[in-house]
Amino acid sequence: MASIARSLRPAASRFVASSSRRAPSWRISPFQVRSFSASGAAQAKKYTKDHEWIELSEDKKTGYIGISEYAAHALGDVVYVELPTTPMEVKAGDAIGAVESVKSASDINSPISGTIVAVNELLEERPGTINKGPEDESSAGGWVAKVEVDETGVKDLDDLMDAAAYKEFTAEE
Amino acid sequence: MAPSRGLLFRLRPSIQSIKSQCRRYSQFVAAATDPTLKARVFISQTTNPYLNLSIEHYLLQKTPADSTVLFLYANSPCVVIGRNQNPWIEVNLGVLRNEKLDVKLVRRRSGGGTVFHDEGNVNYSVICPTSAFNRDKHAEMVVRALKSLGAEKARVNERHDIVMDKGDKEGILKPFKVSGSAYKLTRLRSLHHGTCLLSSPNLQSISKYLRAPAKPFIKARGVDSVSSPITNVGVEISKFREAVASEFRSMYGIRPEASDSFLLVDEKAREVPEIAQGLDELLSDDWIYGQTPQFTFSTENTTTTADEPLTSAWPTILRECEIGFTAKHGRLTEVSVDFKGRVDEPSKLTLRKKLSYISSGPVEMKQMKSPLINRELHKINDWEEVLPPFSGTDGEPDVDASPGKTMNRLFGVGNYEPSVYVG
Repeated sequence: MASIARSLRPAASRFVASSSRRAPSWRISPFQVRSFSASGAAQAKKYTKDHEWIELSEDKKTGYIGISEYAAHALGDVVYVELPTTPMEVKAGDAIGAVESVKSASDINSPISGTIVAVNELLEERPGTINKGPEDESSAGGWVAKVEVDETGVKDLDDLMDAAAYKEFTAEE
Repeated sequence: MAPSRGLLFRLRPSIQSIKSQCRRYSQFVAAATDPTLKARVFISQTTNPYLNLSIEHYLLQKTPADSTVLFLYANSPCVVIGRNQNPWIEVNLGVLRNEKLDVKLVRRRSGGGTVFHDEGNVNYSVICPTSAFNRDKHAEMVVRALKSLGAEKARVNERHDIVMDKGDKEGILKPFKVSGSAYKLTRLRSLHHGTCLLSSPNLQSISKYLRAPAKPFIKARGVDSVSSPITNVGVEISKFREAVASEFRSMYGIRPEASDSFLLVDEKAREVPEIAQGLDELLSDDWIYGQTPQFTFSTENTTTTADEPLTSAWPTILRECEIGFTAKHGRLTEVSVDFKGRVDEPSKLTLRKKLSYISSGPVEMKQMKSPLINRELHKINDWEEVLPPFSGTDGEPDVDASPGKTMNRLFGVGNYEPSVYVG
């Protein structure tokens, strides 16, 4: 992990860790969140069993990665986000970052293979953004990273769940 | 202790009697990865904190996904900071490096705040499937163990710590912390580890290691520690280990006679390649210092309430000198020194461009990059080399007006040594 951590960029501001397991009032129920970025019609959002999401652009060349509403809620107040240094080549399942919440360090893994080309620098200053809009890829949102995708990456999508399957998956957990 | 409990103790296999010690590391690997064992207990016989954390990380990564593991260990004296913490905020490095008691600085992989360990503190670690993870479940297990040993007042609080009510100096009953928890969550496996102060002889000196003199001057990203009054439970280490193992056994259905579920681990675990690699990572400066979230130091920050008066941390005589820097990954990226009225230079003097030596008059150093830029903070052994004392009225260096010396004190320089494994 240390080797991964070395390639991660620290990012977060200082909060007093407060454990909050209740649902915050701002919380929108999953799957209502839909943001509209300039990239136009995006591909359907896919989810991993680790509770990350990925949404590819229409041309399938790039995509945004983040953690799901379900995960953000389960983690509690995020007090620190470690982001990767870019560019960073990753395989599906590789750690691209980590979040800390309620004394817990949790890895964020890449849902697909590709090259991480940008990170959400807002999370460096305001890690709580990830709780407010974890599935929001707008400039004010809590997305984590932007990835450039090749053919392997597009194929990796087949192994992921769509929103309905993910909803079912989280209902079982 | 109730007589019936005494009988129970006799029926339990004592940890001392367990013969299944790993004589070779391959035995340890085989036991850790055996898919037929759904629950198992490992007890460490090494007190090296870096090695114990590396064995623990190995168990997190390599034990079968559906199994549950209890790992018990105690460390030689060390201060353990959380994954995303800042050693210059959490630790008095000067005291740590210059004391007779050899206290190691350790950064763990889990989150949370800074704790002190010594041989009177037993760490319990439970690794379980992430689907079964719960922050309080195994703290409650330890509370049951403590209660079985007579610590009836132990309970888990809202911070997932274990506290015990005890009279303070005025005799008022207050909760004292005996155990703190931290967690590491991965895709399939989750780890909860906690301390348990049983009989630490160092309770009185712990705060001196944890009071960082530079703290009032630092603004940082990352994670704060929450300090709590602490106390020893006052039970024997071997009894605590047996009681925790016993609670774990009954939770996970290990038969008392199943000796293959209990293993002693010693320093030969270093021979496991993954553990050796994890050990190197934990010992590296890149991890211990370089993992520090970005922060800024400024003698003008001083917003927090300091433990000691600011005038002693940054003497009045130095008020004419402002020093500030930003550190990323523990390296100085921007440094500024402002000597205000003491020199004829423009008021903001950036060391990136030039450096003014007061004692010998302003010296232009345009050709030279600041000797501080890109330096690793923890390796700066003497700030006086770049920040010499002001000159006094007689033109001689005024030893009481040395910003460098004060920086040395704030950052605990001197006697820095890289961390090495000592078995």
